[in-house]
Amino acid sequence: MELLGYLLDALTPFNLMLALIGVVLGTVIGALPGLSATMAVAVLVPFTFSMEPASGLIALGAIYTGAIYGGAFAAILVNTPGTPSAIATTFDGYPMARRGDGGLAITLANLASVFGGMVGAIALLLLAPPLAKVALVFGPPEYFWLAVFGLTLISALSVGNTLKGLVGACLGLLLSMVGVAVVGGDVRYTLDSPALLGGIDITSALIGLYCVPVILDLVATRAAHLKVNTDIEKDGIRLREAMGIAWRSKFNVIRSSVIGTVIGILPGAGGSIAGLVSYTEARRSSKYSANFGKGEPDGVIATEAANNATVGGGFIPTLVLGIPGTPPDAIILGALLVQGIKIGPTLFNSQSQIVYTFIFGLLIATVLMLPAGLLIGRYAYKSVVSFPKSLLVPTVAFMTVVGSFAIHSNINDTQMMFGLGVVAWVLNRYGFAPSPIVLGLVLGQIAEQGFVQTYLIGNATHNISGMFFGRPISIGIILAALLTLGYPFFAEWRTRKRPITPLTERAMAAEAHPADIPPMSDTPDTAKPDSVNGESGRTLDTGAILLAVVFAAIGITAYLDTDAMSQMGAVFPATISVLLVVFSIGLVIFALRRKGGVSERGDPAASTMRRILLSIVFGLWVFLIPVLGFFVAGLAAFGSMMVLAEHETCPAKTWLIRAITAVVVVAGFWWLMADVLLLRMPMGLFF
Amino acid sequence: MSIKRTLIAAGLTLMAAIPALAQSDFPTKAMTYIIPFNAGGESDISARFQQAEWKEHTGQDVIIQYQSGAGGAQAWSQLNSIPGDGYTIMGINLPHTVLQPMEGSVGYKTDELTPVNYFHYTPNAIFVTQDSEYKTLQELIDYAKENPGLVTFAGSGAKSANNLGQLQFDDLAGVKTTYIPFSGTGPSITAVLGSQTTAGFNYATSGTNQGDALRMLAVASEKRLPAFPDVPTFKELGLDIVGGAYRGVAVPDSTSEEMRQRISDIVTEINHDPDFIKKMEDGGFVLTDIGYGQMPAFMKKMKAEYAKSAAALGIGN
Repeated sequence: MELLGYLLDALTPFNLMLALIGVVLGTVIGALPGLSATMAVAVLVPFTFSMEPASGLIALGAIYTGAIYGGAFAAILVNTPGTPSAIATTFDGYPMARRGDGGLAITLANLASVFGGMVGAIALLLLAPPLAKVALVFGPPEYFWLAVFGLTLISALSVGNTLKGLVGACLGLLLSMVGVAVVGGDVRYTLDSPALLGGIDITSALIGLYCVPVILDLVATRAAHLKVNTDIEKDGIRLREAMGIAWRSKFNVIRSSVIGTVIGILPGAGGSIAGLVSYTEARRSSKYSANFGKGEPDGVIATEAANNATVGGGFIPTLVLGIPGTPPDAIILGALLVQGIKIGPTLFNSQSQIVYTFIFGLLIATVLMLPAGLLIGRYAYKSVVSFPKSLLVPTVAFMTVVGSFAIHSNINDTQMMFGLGVVAWVLNRYGFAPSPIVLGLVLGQIAEQGFVQTYLIGNATHNISGMFFGRPISIGIILAALLTLGYPFFAEWRTRKRPITPLTERAMAAEAHPADIPPMSDTPDTAKPDSVNGESGRTLDTGAILLAVVFAAIGITAYLDTDAMSQMGAVFPATISVLLVVFSIGLVIFALRRKGGVSERGDPAASTMRRILLSIVFGLWVFLIPVLGFFVAGLAAFGSMMVLAEHETCPAKTWLIRAITAVVVVAGFWWLMADVLLLRMPMGLFF
Repeated sequence: MSIKRTLIAAGLTLMAAIPALAQSDFPTKAMTYIIPFNAGGESDISARFQQAEWKEHTGQDVIIQYQSGAGGAQAWSQLNSIPGDGYTIMGINLPHTVLQPMEGSVGYKTDELTPVNYFHYTPNAIFVTQDSEYKTLQELIDYAKENPGLVTFAGSGAKSANNLGQLQFDDLAGVKTTYIPFSGTGPSITAVLGSQTTAGFNYATSGTNQGDALRMLAVASEKRLPAFPDVPTFKELGLDIVGGAYRGVAVPDSTSEEMRQRISDIVTEINHDPDFIKKMEDGGFVLTDIGYGQMPAFMKKMKAEYAKSAAALGIGN
């Protein structure tokens, strides 16, 4: 068989070595927040010029698939998506890690990623030309509805707290409008600052919104970052247990992989949406949907299977149509053109040897990810668990600075990351979770562009309602969105009707299981029966009321600002700001009537002083980098944070070792950024 | 080829030896080439073509980085804060760097940027799908005349080269069409391929990737393109439309005159490399050779031309 011959071509020792190195390198880079697959692929493209085209492609594909998997590490261990594809991994991965199941979560992520990656690659191998048509039937209305469908996840993420979730989503949507609009070309909400012209970078916002609150909480308490399982059998990677769970969830794995492949094919959607959509679907169809967001293994499985499936899926339009499915695909496409390979419909016939060797290479790289990923995962887990807090806090903080800076070599992104992070911590305290804001931010542009393009086309062809509501795929997505939206209400109704159902039993069990962990405010409140909630429901949620008033004011200002915009540029922000005002007022009314979710009381043992001091150090750091230089500022901040994060008194020898570690970490990252990734580093007074 | 290379190398050594010794030493380490857009677009691909030849002509590598945002304005507004040692250069585009500052505060002014070489442009072109009912440009114009506003063009970005081309087309052909902006060439070509719009106002480069799936009705170049000998120019069809997006290399304003000239020479030299010429022409790019010396005259001409178009877009007043 012809295909078998190509498989043998891919199996040369050189190609195998490239695939292995690529996967390892990709996993490490993906695990560091902010250092993305795109960056890794872009840096390595020149090295492939001197290779055979197929070998070069295998190396790039392996890095890419490794990086998408690596994103899960940071998501699980420090609640920060290493790449936007891993957003939904934080929902359940981090709670699992906190209750001592971090090793299990990483192993599950590995198994799901390998399976998802295989499904995507096999679809690429066998079905690429017909599947490429999917990319073409998706027009502006379908993208609009897909984004709306993604937003319906908010209703699931904020059960019992829906208004706060909706307010958060509106804030995220407004944030996504900052900068120069693609449609209409208006300059919006930049506060006349050129730094905001490019909008708010999604990755740096993700790092800030998810990771900075974790750092602030870490420093405030004595308790270990992650609970370590004392049961020796439960420590480590727990491969057998993970395989059992994955086998029981086989339908989830398959469904998520298929969703990931199909969404990967859509140029302009990408891994983050694939992860969110399959997470939503997994939650809706799960018997234990109440557990989602609290450390349900199926949540991790769904996201990781889907985002790795987008790798193979994304190559389908790239290779068949010459339209890159994702940003890394775009770079790989460029690399192919430089090699003199003509992409497009003829590629599969005229240069089938290169294409099929590459696809097999991708498959092999995905398989290699199983042992390589487990090994790296085990090491990453062990080091995060065993790191003392006074090293963990500055290291994680340093990584947020590195990551947010590295995206565009732009210190404004780092400052934005920090600012959003502090705001997120405050909001979190009053029950406004970061996830709805993130969903708004990620989906806002897709929704707006789809909406305005649909409107323009509909207006030109005198068929606006037909464009929005008359297309078969759009109707399908709308129905799925309605189903997701309505499901929590249905589940609640069913629970009320039959007080003791498996659903609530599981929910109670889930409540009881992580009992020794302080409830995290970014996990949604489950549909608790009113009697449980009643006690605290009587206190007045003053903080939330004040914040809601602020949000209403922001909404009004944002609405007034739309006056100066073109009609095309104004319609979306105007709608969102009106919604923000309405939801905020609703929130105030509900809170005054003492209904709805209540903010959580802070942990009394937590040290507010340390939090404030850490914020000051952090703030000084990000604003002094351009003055002092990256290395000097980093070292100074690292040292100060080390002292702030230590709750015990330690002997001088320990401090000496830690100081040396600090220098090594800062210097190591400096070297990685300046000499390996060749980023432009801010110089300042020193360096 | 090797004789030519030796000659060029010898010529360069001579040229460099005369004005300043420092120049012949440049570059002695890898250079950084910032692309103010996302990967995969025309700016990226043409820079990647240059990158493949860079080492052969300069002895050093060039590293491509992306600093996308605000249609390029994010990067251009920071260009002059980069050290002017010649080791960091930035891609620069027209009409972007003329139109953006006219619209309002984007963090830079056209004259604050220092382009040293515009090395190619991608002519605008009108695309329809292979099974479209419009076989020629005239058929599309006839339909547009009968149905004002009904013809939709997908293009990359608002107030962009594609958008300018579409407005010029409307004006000269005496029709009214609707322009639908997308967030880049990729998404807009996808929309054309999927028949989401009647046609596309894109760059000719898109024609190479799509093979037979798309039909190019006309191209906005002076002469027919070598890659598409069967596609007529707008001029042949009686519409005086020549234009598209020009791409070049810029340096920070603190860069010395000698260094500006040296970098312009590197770009020019690569522009004469036969491998580079072949890849660019196969890709539908049109090479230009506007070096540092011709830059003032070229910019003056282009600014006058875009000022007229800007009025049509309703900006700059």
